[in-house]
Amino acid sequence: MNGKELAEAIQKCLALFTDYADELGDLDQALGDGDLGITVSLGAKAASEALSNLDDSATPAEVVLACAKAFANANPSTMAALVAGALLAGSRTLGDATEVAPGQAGKFALAAAESISQRGKSQVGDKTILDAMFPAAEALLASPDGVADLAAAIEAAEAGVIRSTGLQSRRGRASWMQERSIGLKDPGATAYLRFLQSWHAANSPAEVG
Amino acid sequence: MKKIINEPLRFVDEFLEGILLAHPDLVKTPGDDPRILVRADAPVAGKVGIVTGGGSGHLPLFKGYVGKGLCDGVAIGNVFSSPSSAQVFEATKAVDGGAGVLYLYGNYGGDVFNFDLSVDLAELEGIPTRTVLGCDDVASQPKERAADRRGVAGIIFAFKAAGAAAERGDSLDEVAAVAQDIVENTATMGVGLTPTILPTTGKPSFELAEREMEIGIGIHGEPGIHRGELESADEIADHLLAPLMADLSLVAGDRVAVLVNGLGATPLEELYVLYRRVHQNLAAAGIEIAKNYVGEYATSLEMAGASISLLKLNDSRLELLNAAARSPFFIEA
Repeated sequence: MNGKELAEAIQKCLALFTDYADELGDLDQALGDGDLGITVSLGAKAASEALSNLDDSATPAEVVLACAKAFANANPSTMAALVAGALLAGSRTLGDATEVAPGQAGKFALAAAESISQRGKSQVGDKTILDAMFPAAEALLASPDGVADLAAAIEAAEAGVIRSTGLQSRRGRASWMQERSIGLKDPGATAYLRFLQSWHAANSPAEVG
Repeated sequence: MKKIINEPLRFVDEFLEGILLAHPDLVKTPGDDPRILVRADAPVAGKVGIVTGGGSGHLPLFKGYVGKGLCDGVAIGNVFSSPSSAQVFEATKAVDGGAGVLYLYGNYGGDVFNFDLSVDLAELEGIPTRTVLGCDDVASQPKERAADRRGVAGIIFAFKAAGAAAERGDSLDEVAAVAQDIVENTATMGVGLTPTILPTTGKPSFELAEREMEIGIGIHGEPGIHRGELESADEIADHLLAPLMADLSLVAGDRVAVLVNGLGATPLEELYVLYRRVHQNLAAAGIEIAKNYVGEYATSLEMAGASISLLKLNDSRLELLNAAARSPFFIEA
C-alpha cells in the first residue's frame, strides 16, 4: 500500500478505535489517572485531521510522522509522548519508500515497542503497553510468508493483556497501587489490543474481527 | 518549622511568578505556564539554544541560569520533581533559533525520562537536540562509574561554558562537546548539617542529630558516605577537598575554578571560612585558583551545609568562564 492508502487505512481504524475511549478511560480510572480515554479520543481526532491535510503524495513514513506529531501535540501527557516516540521509531523502518512492503508491519511494531521500552525503561512483565506490543510484534515477524498476520498478532496481544492482568504494575502511576494493581487490566496493553482489533475490523472487511 | 509561604501547593507557581515580575527585562514565559522560562530575547536566530530543567527547591539552580551567555530556557517541576516532557518540549520550541538545542541538566531518573521523551517530540518538529548530563557528585559513584553520578552544583560551570560557546556562535555539536568536556573535568562533594523541610508535607527530608553532619549528601538529602560528629570548618574543607583533587588527578602547576556553594541555610561568612581553607590547601599543593565563586548557586531549600566544586582548567575553559553573561542571579561582566 502507498502513503495515501495507508492514511485512509489509519483513518478508518481510528474511527473505530475511538469507540473504545470510554472503556480505556474506565480502566485507567481504576489503575492510573484516568486520562487515557481523553488521550485516545483527542489523539485520534488530531491524527485523522492531520492526515486529511496531508498531500496525497506523502510517503508512508511521512504519514506516520504526521500522526505522531498530531498525537503528541493533542495531549501533553507522558503516554502521548511515548506513543509519538514509538511512531517516530517505527517510521524509520519505512525509510523513504513510497510503498509499505509486505512483512514490514512486524519490523515497524518491533521498533515501536523497543522505543517505548527504552524511553520508558520498561520490559515485558512490568504490566504496561509492552505486554501487548512485544508479543504482537513477534507474531507479525513470525508470519512465514512475510505477510503480516494480523489475526495472530491480535491473539498474541490478547494473551499478553490476560497475562499482565495477574501481574503487579511496575511503572507509572499504576505502580503506586502496588499489590492492589493485581487483577486489574492494564489500560495501555488493552489500548494496543483495541487498536489492532480496530485495524482488523476496519481494513479486513472479508473477515469478522 | 516556619516558612514564609501561602498555600503550600501554590508555592512553586508563586515564586516563579515573583521571578517573572521582578525580572521582565531578562526572562519571560513563552505561554501562560510560569514553570517554563526563557530569556527575554528568545529565540535568538541562528544560535544554538540550551534548555535545562529539574525540580524546584534549588534556586538559583535551573531558573537562575537563564540569560545571555547562559541557558536559553528552563522547565521546572514541583519541589524535587521533574518537569513534564510537554514542558521541556515547550521550552525547546521557544528557544529554537534554527541551530538546534542542547539539553543540559542533572543526572536524575525522572529528568532523564522526561527530557528523553522531549528529544523525540523535538525531532518530530525538526529540531535536532543533543543531551549532556551533569554528573559531578563524586560521593554518589566511584570514578569508574562517573557517568552514573548525580548532578549537583558543579553543573553551573557547564551552563557558563556551554552558554558562552553558544553565544559566540558554536554549532550544536561544538556546544555539546564543550558541555561534555566541562562535565568530565568537574568534581563536587557536599556536607549536610540540617535537613530540608518540604513545603507540602512540613516534614524533614531526612534526619540528622543535633551534633551530626553528613559528608557526601545529595541536594535532595540523598544519603552520603560518612555520617559523624560535626567537625570544624577546616576539617570539613579538608574532607571535601581531598577526594576532589584525587578525582581530577590534580598536580602542582594545574589551574582550577573553585565553587564554594551554600545549600540554603548556611551563612555566607561560613562559606568564606571554607573558601579560606580551600585556598590554603590548593596553594600548598601548587594549584592555582584562576576563578572562584562563593555563594548560593545550587541549594536544597533550607538545608544547612555546603558543597565544594572544582573544575580543572585550561585556556579554552577559562576563556569560556570569563565570557560575559547575565541572568537575574548571575552576572559575569
